[in-house]
Amino acid sequence: MTPDEVITRVIPQQRWRAAAWLAMALVVAAVAAWELQMRRLGLRAGDLDDSRSHWAVERRKVATGEHDGVVIIGSSRILFDTNLDAWEEMSGLRPIQLALPGTNPRPHLKDLAENSDFAGLLVVGVTPDIYFTDWPGIPLFAGLTDFWREESPSSRFGHRVWIELQRRLAFLDDAYRLGTLIDRAVPLPDRPGVRGPIRDVWKLAEVFDDRQTTMWPRLETDEYLRDHARWVWGPFNGEPLVEAADAERIAAESRKHVEMIRARGGEVVFIRAPSAGLYLESERQGQPRARTWDRLLAVTGAYGIHFEDHDTMRDLDVPEWSHLSAASQPKFTRAYVELLMRDVPWLREHVARRAGP
Amino acid sequence: MVFNSLTFVVFFALVLLAHRLPLPWTAKKVNLLVASYLFYAAWNPPFVILLWISTIVDWYIARGIWNAREKSRAVRRAWLLGSLAVNLGFLAFFKYGEFLLQNWQALMASVGVEYVPPAWDIILPVGISFYTFQTMAYTLDVYLGRSKPLDSFLDFSLFVTFFPQLVAGPIVRPGQLVPQFARPVQATRDQMLWGLALMTLGLFMKVVIADSGLAASADAVFGADKPVGFADAWLGTLAFSGQIFCDFAGYSTIAIGSALCLGFALPDNFRMPYAAIGFSDFWRRWHISLSTWLRDYLYIPLGGNRGSEARTYVNLMLTMLLGGLWHGASWTFVVWGGLHGFYLAAERWIRSRTGVQGDPAGAWNRLALALTTYLLVNVTWVFFRAETFEGAARILAGMAGLAAEPAAVLPTVFMIKTGVIVAGMIAIQWLMRRRTLEDVVARAPWWLTGLVVAAMLFAVITTQGSGEAFIYFQF
Repeated sequence: MTPDEVITRVIPQQRWRAAAWLAMALVVAAVAAWELQMRRLGLRAGDLDDSRSHWAVERRKVATGEHDGVVIIGSSRILFDTNLDAWEEMSGLRPIQLALPGTNPRPHLKDLAENSDFAGLLVVGVTPDIYFTDWPGIPLFAGLTDFWREESPSSRFGHRVWIELQRRLAFLDDAYRLGTLIDRAVPLPDRPGVRGPIRDVWKLAEVFDDRQTTMWPRLETDEYLRDHARWVWGPFNGEPLVEAADAERIAAESRKHVEMIRARGGEVVFIRAPSAGLYLESERQGQPRARTWDRLLAVTGAYGIHFEDHDTMRDLDVPEWSHLSAASQPKFTRAYVELLMRDVPWLREHVARRAGP
Repeated sequence: MVFNSLTFVVFFALVLLAHRLPLPWTAKKVNLLVASYLFYAAWNPPFVILLWISTIVDWYIARGIWNAREKSRAVRRAWLLGSLAVNLGFLAFFKYGEFLLQNWQALMASVGVEYVPPAWDIILPVGISFYTFQTMAYTLDVYLGRSKPLDSFLDFSLFVTFFPQLVAGPIVRPGQLVPQFARPVQATRDQMLWGLALMTLGLFMKVVIADSGLAASADAVFGADKPVGFADAWLGTLAFSGQIFCDFAGYSTIAIGSALCLGFALPDNFRMPYAAIGFSDFWRRWHISLSTWLRDYLYIPLGGNRGSEARTYVNLMLTMLLGGLWHGASWTFVVWGGLHGFYLAAERWIRSRTGVQGDPAGAWNRLALALTTYLLVNVTWVFFRAETFEGAARILAGMAGLAAEPAAVLPTVFMIKTGVIVAGMIAIQWLMRRRTLEDVVARAPWWLTGLVVAAMLFAVITTQGSGEAFIYFQF
């Protein structure tokens, strides 16, 4: 056949109707069995993946002003440790949750300061071994400061369909894809210096509407998964060691952005959420409070809440040493919102204005 | 939109439904045209304008060339230059603008002039290289007297825009597709089911094999910023060879399957390329629609093999160098094309000296030559995948066992996965070297066909990729 001849395609002789019925029956049966098995493992329908598109939906609410004035950025701790319902119950305001796992919030602080007219209350979660470094974060969430504007119509529509499917099917979970399960099926020894997929963070949380993120119940009860998460956070040797000069530079950069938001009538507060065990010990070595957190507050002049300073935040449950359990999440949220309402005039006044005369 | 997205699933279901409604044929074609524009706009709506411009320009220019057929060659050439200026202008601006500026900057620096180009923040319209080549083929055919202009603007617009092959081919010639628009077509039940089976196979290749099975190994090795050892370098490169094949052949298979579900036939774009014996055989099996396009619209107009032997080698090399540049605005792609040009020239030289044409005798000889071809193709993939020459040199040093203090990069599970998948892929391609997929399926019992399709679909559903773009979209 030459390139100029009309194409015809051969259709293989086959009992196509029978083959199609068989394929359909097998797929339905296999997917049903898979769904049952995934539910048995603790996955639940309605647990939505925290994807780029899911984040972008929330970010666009800030841009279009469809919000109550409170926005949260940070890494996974402020994400896992904040209960949006508790926030709303206490203040009447429902925050927009923009914190991202394994991601440095400073580019987002910069973006909100320089590229938006945001003039609300910005709650910045500080995870010391991320905030005080120049590591931007995991590739999955790279470039989000542009993505939310540029996301294609196809991606936006696909995300809506995906969400609707996830509300009905438990097995549609990023952490339990077939490929991921194969990578983790047998924990093979790796060569020296190689970090295999078994050392990647696995499923830690469930994600719901408005990016409400809460620790996955199984992580609290399954010792293997809990110990695996602790092992992943390791080796708890004080790395990364934050030098004083870097901490000062980062604090000065943060101050610039805090001042830009304040100049528009907004406010910025910092929150250091709980960590525990060897993780906390490692942070004390590598990112000592006096060199990092205290300097951040001093240089920016911002209000801050450190969990170690408040009795109400001391005895919370941190199963894998970095994130609060589902039960402790609303307790911590109530504790820090109460402090914010007491000590941050912007929030007090905003709540009073909304409540009316 | 990408084929491996939920948006496409919904879109395609609606298109199929609309195509089966009891409507006049012209209305169905309008439906397909509108759907094709939506398909493209779903990625970035304003860029549909480029499609419209390309369509309108080539429609009128081809007619201009035809109407000037009694006039001088200069007049017809002027019309042709108009088409080339618009289509190649699009490519030059959107695809090669930054590359040209960077090279101009380097040239100026080499003569001591400091020139800082403005920031080039231009988005590359997806698939621009494919549809510009398709519209140019139409105008070139009219110019070369191979065909006359089409009578229907609707048919021509649909030829340019037909969504299954719009953004990553196969690059179709007017004579292959346009006559299919002339009469009403509706997929038969068997065409529809075979089309759906092909779409399942394509999705399996893309989502399960390319994205989930091999991408991580290739990314780990090519993303390493340190020397890598022999095993890592080879496995990373082999992984990429499998990834790009399954990604691109997967796309083509979905394109062919989706067109078939609508009752249209698109040409094959791949025929077991990693079972090729020699490089002319490889290019008869890899990205067939591009290699034939380059042959018909570049190599032959340059003189092909009609001149002296030296001129033939020059034509061959020029064609492959430009073919390399077509893939991307980087000198690494040019080197990739240059290597293939060198391989083709060397093979031609060897065949002319030894008098051996076609496949050699003896199964073991054929297997050895096929493996040699595959290994040499893998060397070219290093330049295709590496973003810089330094990166390519690092991988090649590792493949030659010459890396200084090489670091281990690949996790054990990735090494095993890559080995198993690539070995399986090579074995299948070798066994099917002289057979088509249609032959194999026709000989299989119906229950085995159903079982295999079900297994692939189950793997696709449970792997549920996040809709990552096909590699060839960037070209």
